[in-house]
Amino acid sequence: MLAYSLPSDISPSTYVNAASLVRIVALGLISAAAISSRLFAVINFESIIHEFDPWFNYRATKVLASEGFYEFWNWFDPTAWYPLGRVVGGTIYPGLMATSGVIYNLLHALNLPVDIRNICVLLAPGFSALTAWATYMFTKEMKDESAGLLAAAFIGIVPGYISRSVAGSYDNEAIAIFLLMFTFFAWIKALKTGSALFGTVAALFYFYMVAAWGGYAFITNMIPLHAFVLLLMGRYTSRLYVAYCSWYAIGTLSSMQVPFVGFQPVRTSEHMAALGIFGLLQIVAFAQLIRSHVSSKQFQDLLFVSVISAAGLGMAAMVLLTYKGWIAPWTGRFYSLWDTGYAKKYIPIIASVSEHQPTAWPSFFMDLHMLTFLFPFGVLALFRQLRDEHVFVIIYAVMGTYFAGVMVRLMLTLTPCVCVASAVGLSQLIDTFVDPREPDVEQEKEGGDAAPSKQAAKKEKNAAPITGVGAIDDIVSTLSGASSPEKDKSGKTKAGIFGLDTRMVVLFNTAAMLLFFVLHCTWVTSNAYSSPSVVLASTNPDGSQHIIDDFREAYYWLRMNTKEDAVVMSWWDYGYQIAGMADRVTLVDNNTWNNSTRLTAGCAAHIATVGKAMSSPEEIAYPILRKHDVNYVLVIFGGLIGYSGDDINKFLWMVRIAQGVWPDEIQEPNYFTPQGEYRVDDQASKAMRESLMYKMSYYRFAELFGGGQVMDRVRQQQLPKQSPTLDYLDEAFTSENWIVRIYQVKKEDSLGRDLKSANGFAQGKKRKRSKPPVKRRALA
Amino acid sequence: MILRCQLAFFVSLFAANLAWAGHSFENTAIVRTVELGGASVHVTTAFAVKALEPKSSVYTIALSKNEHQKTSWLEVRQKGQQAVLPLQPVLLDAANDAYIYKVEFSKPLAMNESVNLILDTVQTHATFPWPEQAGQTDDQALKYETDLYVLSPYKTAVQRTKVRALSPRILSYTTPEGIEFTTENPVTKSGATVTYGPYHNIPESSSAEFVTKHQKHVTVHYNHDFPLAEITTLKRAAEISHWGANLNIQDEIVLHNAGPTLKGHFSRLQFQSSTFYNRASPTVLNWFTLHLPAGIKNVYYYDQIGNVSTSRLRAAPSVPKSLSGNSNQYSIMEVRPRYPLLGGWNYTFTLGWDAPLSDSTSFDSKTGKYIVGVPVMTVMPDAVVDDAEVKIILPEGATDIEFFPPFPAKNNTISTHISYLDTVGRPALTFHYEHLTDKHNGIIYVTYKVPFSAHLRKPLAVATGLIGLFVLSMGWRRVDVRLDTKQKL
Repeated sequence: MLAYSLPSDISPSTYVNAASLVRIVALGLISAAAISSRLFAVINFESIIHEFDPWFNYRATKVLASEGFYEFWNWFDPTAWYPLGRVVGGTIYPGLMATSGVIYNLLHALNLPVDIRNICVLLAPGFSALTAWATYMFTKEMKDESAGLLAAAFIGIVPGYISRSVAGSYDNEAIAIFLLMFTFFAWIKALKTGSALFGTVAALFYFYMVAAWGGYAFITNMIPLHAFVLLLMGRYTSRLYVAYCSWYAIGTLSSMQVPFVGFQPVRTSEHMAALGIFGLLQIVAFAQLIRSHVSSKQFQDLLFVSVISAAGLGMAAMVLLTYKGWIAPWTGRFYSLWDTGYAKKYIPIIASVSEHQPTAWPSFFMDLHMLTFLFPFGVLALFRQLRDEHVFVIIYAVMGTYFAGVMVRLMLTLTPCVCVASAVGLSQLIDTFVDPREPDVEQEKEGGDAAPSKQAAKKEKNAAPITGVGAIDDIVSTLSGASSPEKDKSGKTKAGIFGLDTRMVVLFNTAAMLLFFVLHCTWVTSNAYSSPSVVLASTNPDGSQHIIDDFREAYYWLRMNTKEDAVVMSWWDYGYQIAGMADRVTLVDNNTWNNSTRLTAGCAAHIATVGKAMSSPEEIAYPILRKHDVNYVLVIFGGLIGYSGDDINKFLWMVRIAQGVWPDEIQEPNYFTPQGEYRVDDQASKAMRESLMYKMSYYRFAELFGGGQVMDRVRQQQLPKQSPTLDYLDEAFTSENWIVRIYQVKKEDSLGRDLKSANGFAQGKKRKRSKPPVKRRALA
Repeated sequence: MILRCQLAFFVSLFAANLAWAGHSFENTAIVRTVELGGASVHVTTAFAVKALEPKSSVYTIALSKNEHQKTSWLEVRQKGQQAVLPLQPVLLDAANDAYIYKVEFSKPLAMNESVNLILDTVQTHATFPWPEQAGQTDDQALKYETDLYVLSPYKTAVQRTKVRALSPRILSYTTPEGIEFTTENPVTKSGATVTYGPYHNIPESSSAEFVTKHQKHVTVHYNHDFPLAEITTLKRAAEISHWGANLNIQDEIVLHNAGPTLKGHFSRLQFQSSTFYNRASPTVLNWFTLHLPAGIKNVYYYDQIGNVSTSRLRAAPSVPKSLSGNSNQYSIMEVRPRYPLLGGWNYTFTLGWDAPLSDSTSFDSKTGKYIVGVPVMTVMPDAVVDDAEVKIILPEGATDIEFFPPFPAKNNTISTHISYLDTVGRPALTFHYEHLTDKHNGIIYVTYKVPFSAHLRKPLAVATGLIGLFVLSMGWRRVDVRLDTKQKL
């Protein structure tokens, strides 16, 4: 019995062909939607590289495109971390640059001279289309093609992924999510088929992922975890053995070819789980082999002894190796994943990055919208069949949710899993309600009128399972009601869906939710995630867009009108931008936290030096500046137009980081008022008012108001009418809206005076002799 | 019209005993007018010539070595006539250290017949800022140096030099001493004009003897209220597309403020307050206006780090070719660099636009050739282009290329340019120029043929590529690459 009639005169081959065509068209449309929804930034602004890190990637890609791969590999960048320099080839994940370089060379070989900048800008949207496809393939393995299409559509437009892949956001994550999904797909495929080929494919994509993103450790631990859970569930098969071993052997060997990774896969704790599972699988496989040759009693004894001893030996070896220092212990970033307060206490540099903060609840809704609540439903639905691959998604869901709660930026790794699980759940729901079959119900014949009986049946359907085992069964039976009506024949009441109206209500509701999802995604993308942050937009009184382009104004001024080897000091946020746009030497840059432990020690000291210079009075800062050959100091000041991401607001982090190295000289409490407030007005503390940062930010600021009220629009505080004065620095350039202020460091006075008294002399001030000369007193 | 550098080729160490034109002429009067400007200085010399011999047709003009070096544009005509008189190749008179330009009259002069010749020249880099450094709001003063006497291989009855500035604020000028040719004041100043002379009965002044004995340098120091823009290099690429009916012109410009270099530092506060009170400083180049052709679209203005949003464009609609004689139609572009250019500062940018091809091309059905005209440059008022490279990229497969530059280039080359989906590349003509001024806004005409097959080359190449892909994928679908065909994956 059918709720609505289906055409019956369609041949199976027509059906297959039509379905395949619809799938291809749908995937094409999803790709188009994924790409175009990421182009807001290009349309609203321009084809420009966003934010901070992408500027470095872009600069490295330009080197790769113009000089070739080997030059890039051996590139030593003397302009970063002055005077240390940076071995770029050995300290980056080159996958992103290599990808762009290959695309660039391919297009140029086809006589398509596309600018390298446009390739970099559009790489992330292009790869998001590939991600949609990989997610489709992955979800297809979980359920079927229709769930795959839903998952592809979700990942295509979900803000949680768009946030890291809009056009211009040229970061490692741009390609990493595709690699992640495809590696997982190949892993699942290898596991399902026991194919060494797919295991190798997974390994190769794992290698690509290692070359592209530091987050590869997620795969390194997810796959072993999956294998381990399968072992615990007693689901060991030779397919698992083949898949895991081919993946691990080839993947680990190839990942060690990336210079930045090197011997880490065998030397650090993060990679030990994979190795351990590899060993465990060998033991289990061996045990299986023994079992097929000896009797079961003997086998059990043998198993018991050998497993215990092997596991004990393995553990002991690990502990010994760690203790001996052969295996590096867990890094601070790892600990900060478990203890959210860890970083703030021990590594303020990591904690100072906003995207390392724990995630707030609203951001879950903002990034996932309805998937937030579809996700648990989907995970639940996966429990129904609980095939090997379903276990994978369930583990992924648990781990991903935890990590996303710890750090904002790990929202990104959760998103694909959410999309897959939600798609499985939603497609189950839709399958159930689209299915035209109705359960055979005898009672229906009793009622004369069709409609009330339907309602009654529905009520019964709702009521019956509540008396059953539990909530899970409720949902499960609801879901299975239509798809397997035969099974329920023995039951007294029939669960199922009756009539068109029930179907329409649910489907309409679902469609509306999907529609709102699309609207939400579009809105979030266009409003929250499509600002290049290099260019700011405001609105003119007439409603037209006004571009605030102070950053590029100042950077370009540096590029055009200062010496080529001039050293620019700024807070580390702007290091990559200065190197990329101004092409000048920087003291510190953004290479601190996303890179290895090897660098961090030196870098932290370097950053602390900058922090100290910024938070000290001029007399103390000046020798530091001179010692580091600093020619220009750049500060970001938002007080005039109300740009809140300025250096005064980041100032406390500079103080904290400097305090970590010089606890005697810099103390955080000194920068607060006695009441414990962070103020910049006339109540500001002495240390605050005398700090270089404060002086540089507000230098001559009061004069702009011509004697009126001097207002800092970011902190909403009134400043003293007298601006601070500078003796050791000269104002060299200030951008149109005063956002970027550049100061030139004066040379030592040619007469050997200190610059303060030299300045005073130039202004005609009499030198105060606080102390009488020592000699005279001695004579007296 | 003569461009000095190109002609350096002709300048050989000519025999020192170069035959002078003789004494076939006499200058009854020479009046030289110097219009002081910023980067370029316009010098007009009027010669009232009287023939002393019958059938005299070649008149000689001499420029000192220094003056010849500065002059980037030169033209001679008879007063009241439009036609430019032909010039013979310039010669170096090594003995007297002077450059000789020979002018041919349209018809030979009779005995005692007189004629007025106008020599128009534009000098570049003839002025220099003095003092060399100036603060942000200081005035800008320039110095101009020139020789007191106009050189001429003939006797001159009366000679005077007028130096005219834009504003009457002339700070100082040299008063020459020991002048033999006048009894009155050798120099007078009235308003914005400084007049040297009149000096009477000057002998042949182009001889080395006269120069060492009488020639003097005079310097005028004057206030100039406009910033000194200088385009250090200009790279223009014009790409012709018949498929898109489009002429794309793109200029890559390196701009330099050649005024006095900034003393001290730039203060945004001072700049903003002087903008607020509308007292623009003469040394600050904040914006300038360019006259782009009518009918342009997709104008872009960016620099090495992206789009520059601080500019305004008033586009004029395309002018039908029949009316193109009326060239008053311009799109006006107000270009504002990212930051104001103070003295000595640099800025680079790229400016480009698309124009309908029909506005600058026509087809000659008799010869089957296209004729395209590309302007050498977009004139930026009162700016000098030190080094220009104009590249005209013709459509792929263009043959029988001929070109007609408005004035000879320093050198020109034909190369191959490969752009979107080209198979053999496009012929590209490159012209090299130096020291262009606003007098040099000529048009380079290029004629070429494009066979019909060349038009089809691109779609055929794309189609071949796509068909190849389809064939490959067809083959891939039909070949079983599995090793083990029994096991179904």
